[in-house]
Amino acid sequence: MPKSQFVDPKKAFESGVIRFTDIPVCRYNKTLEEEKALYTKDDFMRIYRDMAIIREFETMLNEVKVKSEYNGVKYNNPGPAHLSIGQEASAVGEAYCLDINDYSFGSHRSHGEILAKGLSSIHKLGDQELYDIMKEFLDGSVLNVVEKHMNAGGNVKELAINFLLYGALAEIFARTTGFNRGLGGSMHAFFIPFGLMPNNAIVGASAPIALGAALYKRANHKPGIVVSNCGDGATGRGPVLESFNFASMDQITKLWGMEGRYSDAGMPILFNIFNNHYGMGGQTRGETMGFDMAARLGAGFNPDQMHAERVNGYDPLAVIDAVSRKKQLLLEGKGPALLDVVTYRVSGHSPSDSSTYRTQEEIEAWKAADPIVAFRKKLVGGAIAAEDEFDALHEQITNRMTEIMKLAINDEISPRMDLNKDPDAIASIMFSNQKVVSMDPSREAEMLMPKEECPRVKDIAGKVRKATDANGKPVSKMKMYNICDGLFEPIIDKFYDDPTLIAYGEDNRDWGGAFGVYKKMTEAVPYHRFFNAPISESAIVGSAVGYAMCGGRAIVELMYADFIGCAGDEIFNQMAKWQAMSAGILKMPIILRVSVGSKYGAQHSQDWTALTAHIPGLKVVFPASPADAKGLMTSALDGTDPVIFFESQRIYGIGEQFLPDGVPTGHYEVKLGDPDVKKTGKDVTILTIGAVLYRALEAAKTLEEKYGISAEIIDARSIVPFDYSKVIESVKKTGRILIVGDACERGSVMKEMAANIQEFAFDYLDAPAVALGSRNWITPAHELEEAFFPYPDAIIDAIHEKLIPIPGYVPTHNFSDLEKIERAKKGV
Amino acid sequence: MAQVVIMPRQGQSVESCVITEWKKKVGDKVAVKDVLFSYETDKSSFDELSETEGTLLAVFAEEGDDVECLRPVCVIGNEGEDISSLIPKDGEAEAQTASEPADQASGDAAASAAPVREAEATGSASADGRLKISPRARHLAERTDADLSRAVPTGPNGRIIERDVNLLLDRGWTNADKAAQTEKTAEAAPAAAAAAAAPAAPTDGFTDVKLSNVRKVIARSMHASLAEMAQLTLHSSFDATQMLAYRALLKANAEKLGMNNITLNDIILYGVARTLPLFRDLNAHYLGDRDMIRYFDTVNLGVAVDTDRGLLVPTVFGADKLSLNDLAGEARTVIAAAQKGQISPDKLKGATFTVTNLGSMGIESFTPVINPPQTGILGVGCVTYRLKADGSTYPAMGLSLTFDHRALDGAPAARFLKALCDNLTEFNMLLAK
Repeated sequence: MPKSQFVDPKKAFESGVIRFTDIPVCRYNKTLEEEKALYTKDDFMRIYRDMAIIREFETMLNEVKVKSEYNGVKYNNPGPAHLSIGQEASAVGEAYCLDINDYSFGSHRSHGEILAKGLSSIHKLGDQELYDIMKEFLDGSVLNVVEKHMNAGGNVKELAINFLLYGALAEIFARTTGFNRGLGGSMHAFFIPFGLMPNNAIVGASAPIALGAALYKRANHKPGIVVSNCGDGATGRGPVLESFNFASMDQITKLWGMEGRYSDAGMPILFNIFNNHYGMGGQTRGETMGFDMAARLGAGFNPDQMHAERVNGYDPLAVIDAVSRKKQLLLEGKGPALLDVVTYRVSGHSPSDSSTYRTQEEIEAWKAADPIVAFRKKLVGGAIAAEDEFDALHEQITNRMTEIMKLAINDEISPRMDLNKDPDAIASIMFSNQKVVSMDPSREAEMLMPKEECPRVKDIAGKVRKATDANGKPVSKMKMYNICDGLFEPIIDKFYDDPTLIAYGEDNRDWGGAFGVYKKMTEAVPYHRFFNAPISESAIVGSAVGYAMCGGRAIVELMYADFIGCAGDEIFNQMAKWQAMSAGILKMPIILRVSVGSKYGAQHSQDWTALTAHIPGLKVVFPASPADAKGLMTSALDGTDPVIFFESQRIYGIGEQFLPDGVPTGHYEVKLGDPDVKKTGKDVTILTIGAVLYRALEAAKTLEEKYGISAEIIDARSIVPFDYSKVIESVKKTGRILIVGDACERGSVMKEMAANIQEFAFDYLDAPAVALGSRNWITPAHELEEAFFPYPDAIIDAIHEKLIPIPGYVPTHNFSDLEKIERAKKGV
Repeated sequence: MAQVVIMPRQGQSVESCVITEWKKKVGDKVAVKDVLFSYETDKSSFDELSETEGTLLAVFAEEGDDVECLRPVCVIGNEGEDISSLIPKDGEAEAQTASEPADQASGDAAASAAPVREAEATGSASADGRLKISPRARHLAERTDADLSRAVPTGPNGRIIERDVNLLLDRGWTNADKAAQTEKTAEAAPAAAAAAAAPAAPTDGFTDVKLSNVRKVIARSMHASLAEMAQLTLHSSFDATQMLAYRALLKANAEKLGMNNITLNDIILYGVARTLPLFRDLNAHYLGDRDMIRYFDTVNLGVAVDTDRGLLVPTVFGADKLSLNDLAGEARTVIAAAQKGQISPDKLKGATFTVTNLGSMGIESFTPVINPPQTGILGVGCVTYRLKADGSTYPAMGLSLTFDHRALDGAPAARFLKALCDNLTEFNMLLAK
């Protein structure tokens, strides 16, 4: 909470009522004659054409799914097809208002939006620019197909329509000539050069991502607005509601301006609900939701009620009327906005939908109101075009679609990825592995003061960068450079080096982060680059994903690692997957900081490295010393991949004990994936993950002094990627290895590493590689933690019982096979 | 009251001794100073004399057993005395424990940690007859031909681990050794068994004798020396006229002056001890596994001695600080102890350079083998007569210097040999230095 705002108890208890303004419901009532002032015949016909193209495209997909044939061409498509037949007017009406700079995000049911936005952009782009975009995209591999095999009559826009339809269809059919080399597929197709952003197979997942795109525009002063499309069913999801709130939060207009120094505009985002009445089969109005009309939601989020409005989505002109008004509000800085666009999905949720949840009568009633038929009737009735013009248009569209389909299913022209020939084709795009110091070198970073004046930078300058002074005496806590400082240094540097860098999370700004990593950073970084997020983990991580998709770099924080679950989809499906799903087109320079607690019981003390390491596409690190914290943060910040950055609350205050000259000043990198030998030894290797390093060192001391066993200690530092070579070398020498971490043992990274080391160094082992983690329990209270986490005695016990029995040693833990089998049987 | 006799610790580095022979049987009367049993370390053998009188009531180790130092070996007391409290608890029971899976009962991990005390293994084969052994230990055993049937598993779950194989090797228990033993047993087998065997190759004409511990140690050490070092030998000789004259003088007057009998070998030891400090590369240990060479401030001279038990090399410590007379005295003491087989194991190590003399057997020159980790050894040959340019002859004594080329090069080694020859040629001058 900023001190500038006074929480006055008198005001807090003041009596009164909350007043709402009316939310308009389907108020559009202009006649065609009135609209003629706004649209030319071409405009009207283009609106019609775009709706007809979408309808035909989806009809084709439906026929292929249901009959394995379209217009005499046979094909079997095993992939998904979530169609939106009936919703064309909503999609085209919205896209009609959007420019190239305006981004639209959608859902699993977004073929219509993709095509509508693509067609709108093709119309708005100049021929040369349009051609260049197509030529450059994936080295012209999409364009080549349509240029070579289809006749566009020398018309670039016609060529571009072929390009759009072919690129989307080849993507749906998983061809390398698709927009994302077939790696995204039906539910994820996108084409950024047309402002057509990634669509999402997770219901509602696009909302925080779109929010992040709006944040990118807002924080980097980029033109245009962002439209976040979702269905009415998605409004039941937390990430969507979190995004409504995040976009509406007061600070954007009240604090980010910093008394006129920066913009105080609202978030430029339109949350557009394509309200087709069903979330799969669940009826929102009347069954699964209580809002009666989705537009009512706006009233819950800010005094502007998000400018919410309900419009007739079966009339493209009504949609255009509403979207253009909302866009105007956003451009005036009055965002966010909310539209409830009433429409209907005549087609099933998917081709396997037998419509058990609705009557045939209902479907027929909506078919009778078909928006395309109605619009044609309107245009014919208004003497804008004759019936035969429409017939000719339909014939042309059907022919075009047939031609496109033939191309897209031709294995020669549109091959699939050959993973036999190129087995690493997907592996090579899981990470982008680039080093990019600034995501936008053309701009100066907006900061409030020169770096050397930043109070925290000054504080650190006076600190001792080692745990001990020149005489070997421990440095006092106040004077010692610690892990918080190691994290802070590269972050503040990056704020000055990369104008796109933003940082946010819960209690980041004035508090300085719950554990003080950002202490006294508030003074140096403007609000729009560094702020307190609402307690909305999904929106925090999801928005970072959208921010990165647009070309920015973000460092977001979830406070406790235990909150990873609150942002599960955003971490596991969004942050992790988009680089590869985009065939390497997108970069994902995000650092997600999470802190592993202790003393705080079952929901605040968990090391969840294994959860994140399990998901392909995430890098995972866990430094345990100030120098490693600095080095890994530097490398992560310079990189272009998503990094889950684990920290430990046990050791934030610890000083540097390993580098003899202390933590290096200036730029210091530690390569991700490179473990570090913290102590050499010859009898047993202990590989540690995170804060347990210091307990392992203690154990090593006892082993050496009391039992004459010399332990080599390696700090893993990184988990993904991980270079095993140093560990294998060590095991070749010692013949024995124990892998220790604070995570619960079952399914842990320690177990994974033990299994790998056993494979890689089997012939050198004198005993199986042994993993030691915490018990498979809830974390008990602090006073009982010694029975739960691995402490030095448990480490020695494990070595004694599993690796090399120590003469005369009496263990206190039971690590025998019998006991472990029994525990496994009980699931504990 | 019955007395327990323990295995004495012969020198700080000795951890266990092998009982070679029992001189008394259970039930025999024992007088003070009676020999109870003989035992040996790797390098020396000893007799254990009784300190009490009584009857030998129990023995805890057989001939051939390797007994940890300070462990009970036998009990002497009065006949019929209850000695149950004196019988070591960890004998039979422990050997048995080691062969069982450690986790048969929960919380018995301590039992699985039982240190190796029993010489004879019960083996580590599990119930299904499979050998439980770690990959690392198996590799080591394959490489070294260790006899796994005699391994005592000390790893978790009764698994043979690396240290168990190392123990076999320390004892020289290889498959080859076992084969030799088996052959011998077969020979000694009853005639019936021999008759049952198919026409066997004639076994007369040779005798297989099990290697003594000393032999095994020498074999391993010498083989390792030649296998691992880069050794080469330089030969030279010096004019021994002055030395022989000096020796004759000493011999004539030693008794009168109350001095030791100073031999030619002592004179050469003296020459070496006084020359070496200027050539530190040869007064050194080469520690290749640590990429290090260790130079010594004093000369600890190893003296190769031919004994009944084989070659032993006792050490004369601080030889460079001793007078010729003291050096001769000390050398005589350690040589005599070595020959009697009663030298302390601590005096069989620590040498920084070695001298070996085969001159008395008419050997003119030879290529002595370095005692690792030393970097050189001097071989002393006999005196031969050589012609001078003028036709006269002089007594020439041969010297052969083997050095480790890893530690030093040929030229510095040659310079040492030349300096040594010069010093011995002008021995009177050396004495004055």
